Amino acid sequence: MVSTRSGASVSSRLTAVRSVAVYVGQRARHDGLFLFGLLVALTVLFLALFGELLAPYDPREATANVGMPPPPLKDWPQLAYRALTGQLDAAPHWFGTDFYGLDVFSRVISAPRTDVSIALGGALVSLLLGTGLGLVAGFYRNWATGLLVRASDVLQSFPVFITAMVLVALSGRHTGNIVLALCLVYTPIFLRLTRAEVMGQARHGYVEAARAAGVRPWIIAWRHVLPNSLVPALIQLSVTIGFAIILTAGLSFVGAGVQPPTPEWGLMISQGAGDLNYGWWWPSVFPGLAISITVLGFAALGHVLEEAFR
Amino acid sequence: MSAQGPAGRRDDGREPLLVARDLTVAFQRDGGEVTAVDGFNLEIRAGEIVGLMGAPGSGKSTAALALTGLTRSTGQIRSGAVDFLGANILALPEERRRQLRGKGIGLITQNPRAALHPMLRVGAQLINVYRAHHGVDRETARRAAAQLLGRLGINDPERRLAAYPHELSTGMAQRFVIAMAVAGEPQLLIADEPTSGLDVTIQAQLLDQLWDGARATGSAVLLVTQDLGIVANYCDRVAVMHAGRVVETQTVGQFFAQPQHSYSRNILALLRSDPGAAGETAPARSAEIGDRPVLLQVKDLHKTFPLQHSAKVVQAVDRVSFQLRSGETFGLVGESGSGKTTVGRTLLHLEQPTGGEILFQGHPLHEMAERQLRPLRARMQIVFQDPMDSMDPRWTIEQVISEPLGLTELSATAKAARVQQLLQAVALPLELRAEKPRALSAGQRQRVAVARAMAPDPDFIVLDEPTSALTPETTVEMLSLLRRLQLDFGVSYLFISHDLATVRVLCHRIAVLYLGQVVETGAKEDIFAAPRHPYTRALLASHLYPELENRRVDRAVRETLKGEVPSPVDLPSGCYLYGRCPMQRERCRSEPQELTRIEEDRAVRCWRVGEGEI
Repeated sequence: MVSTRSGASVSSRLTAVRSVAVYVGQRARHDGLFLFGLLVALTVLFLALFGELLAPYDPREATANVGMPPPPLKDWPQLAYRALTGQLDAAPHWFGTDFYGLDVFSRVISAPRTDVSIALGGALVSLLLGTGLGLVAGFYRNWATGLLVRASDVLQSFPVFITAMVLVALSGRHTGNIVLALCLVYTPIFLRLTRAEVMGQARHGYVEAARAAGVRPWIIAWRHVLPNSLVPALIQLSVTIGFAIILTAGLSFVGAGVQPPTPEWGLMISQGAGDLNYGWWWPSVFPGLAISITVLGFAALGHVLEEAFR
Repeated sequence: MSAQGPAGRRDDGREPLLVARDLTVAFQRDGGEVTAVDGFNLEIRAGEIVGLMGAPGSGKSTAALALTGLTRSTGQIRSGAVDFLGANILALPEERRRQLRGKGIGLITQNPRAALHPMLRVGAQLINVYRAHHGVDRETARRAAAQLLGRLGINDPERRLAAYPHELSTGMAQRFVIAMAVAGEPQLLIADEPTSGLDVTIQAQLLDQLWDGARATGSAVLLVTQDLGIVANYCDRVAVMHAGRVVETQTVGQFFAQPQHSYSRNILALLRSDPGAAGETAPARSAEIGDRPVLLQVKDLHKTFPLQHSAKVVQAVDRVSFQLRSGETFGLVGESGSGKTTVGRTLLHLEQPTGGEILFQGHPLHEMAERQLRPLRARMQIVFQDPMDSMDPRWTIEQVISEPLGLTELSATAKAARVQQLLQAVALPLELRAEKPRALSAGQRQRVAVARAMAPDPDFIVLDEPTSALTPETTVEMLSLLRRLQLDFGVSYLFISHDLATVRVLCHRIAVLYLGQVVETGAKEDIFAAPRHPYTRALLASHLYPELENRRVDRAVRETLKGEVPSPVDLPSGCYLYGRCPMQRERCRSEPQELTRIEEDRAVRCWRVGEGEI
């Protein structure tokens, strides 16, 4: 059975991938929201991988230019042309420099490595933990899983930000701890979602049919119930990534996130806030825009996913 | 009426009450437009009952609704005219049309629960309708409403007026919807499948009342249905719809004698092709089964469900006993709440029995744990009522069918070959292997469900209402398929159904269940020829056959049950049928009934039968 099933499912998976690709292509052509979300997500992921390599300046090293404003927009085409043809001695500071002389542009495009890897890590681990526990709690309903759900309710009842701050304050400002904080915040959400869906799916006739076919309960849960219960969690994932980015940045902003001078949007806003006193808006506005656009992009993607699965 | 023959009244030159001309309704869908009703023409004369027939999707509901100027969701009436009482309804201002609805034309919809406001007492809703049409004060309206409900067969109407819709059974809710529709004393009543989803005894009750009411007040009825039994038993004329237009209008007598359109001819031919009469699919007479070995022996099977927040229990199955011989089909017949489905599920350990014995090929299933039972599952399978729901929507047909093969020792290639063999056995094209259940029609899906049940080559299959999700055409095909599989593979069936027509085709012996108890059991031929228990008699009398002989409305005595099925939590102390039974005596009130053997292989749960009174 294993070989027929996998044989059948490899080909069906290939056609599934192809049909998803076709759907994405068609949808992107007609739906501006989807195109926006897709572009943002791809750009952010690309920057997380290669942002630091593309940065014209080292995002952690100060330059001699302190508090330099960004060049006026009308000069950008000419500057870009000259930079690309090698007519400039030094790359322009597109977004200006901050109080320490750090190049804001280099830091903005280097930050996704920190922000996105923390947010993505936190969201994905929450997804795995939450759906796994949700499947168990929804499929086997007894006092132990009841306790699990209550415990996650208690966790959820703390304000998100406070939970994360306390956790990081207690265990130190390491990337791993920030991911852990995100997991504590987001796992209960995935658990609840999946459990509710599993309880609904378990009422369907195909679960009974599998029992009548002599399939063991935990195999039914894994083979039938889980795949049919994943949709709400997958929709939630996209939204969660967006919110996890805000939370990561927020933690840095209040000093509970990553250490300076790591390029990170929240940290940049926090440090740039002081520069506003001198009328220097650029060190905080550009990372702020980056966060807003990224979160909006992922939210748009989640919205589109929701429509596509309905 | 008898002088006119079973066709009912003929064209007696009466003025038409409503004339629809060239009605066209279109729906917006995915940017495009779908024309659901396309040039619909129909004439309804005063006082006549017209059946509007057609396959699902032929536009009959949309057309019926459009007669009052209404459409659902994105629908729009594109063209046409509906002349009613000298004016074109479609050209009237909305305010005039609104006054016409209810007072001129009453509407009864398919799903009574959706037609009632869930948060208002049904009494308030009915009284509002009454006041709107008659302009009387609240107290007068209340008295009139209670009277109307009494006429519709509702006991204790004053108390029922205070109920909320969710407290009512579907049959009771439909009575309220009917009451609201007739409260304005309309000259035309449009009833859109008013009894779909109701039990046959309740269906007969409601349609009887509708017919009697219409005849008494002289109002016309447009009865939308796809049930030829309803058409034959209650209608004077019939209009057949196909692809959005009326393709045939005839008196009922001519329709059954000489159907014109190919759809009508096909469906009539299909219903008349009794699979029991056609050679190889003929069910063997019970006598031939008599000496075959017993496969399954059920003794005093008992099942109760605990009620939440209460010490009370729901009695679903009460001491049911029967035996099933190899190659035999045993029918469990009953209406909703009779416990027939629970019996089937208990046999397969999908529910744990509360008491009693189940012996399957000598194995005591009732005392076996799931682990011990698993190897036996290959020998007993089930086909569920809803084929779509019983298949994982993400799986291919091949995966669905091969799931029970996990119980066998077959190799992967042998399994693939087995799936091909099974698809051929249920007459499905092999190309369907790679499709998902969604891509199949309801009839094809149920064939897949049968193939899945046949996969491990079982000795016994529970068929839980396998045809209730199917159209009349596919039902006939499904029954002959099941019969052929039985002849080819010698499999035994427990056939669970509320539909007497299917039971008559497939079963050798039957048991009639009412509120968890067997009220009558015996050979099928005997029970159909001479039902003894009052419930069985009412059940058989309520079944609407698509034949014009002995129409229900022509009968001197329309044998039927009063009221509704009592709650299985508070059962009557005597006979469970007490209060509904047309043959009850004072003794029935307090004396619990026992199943008494009256002949070889025939038992009835009624003292009057036991003592030879009926």
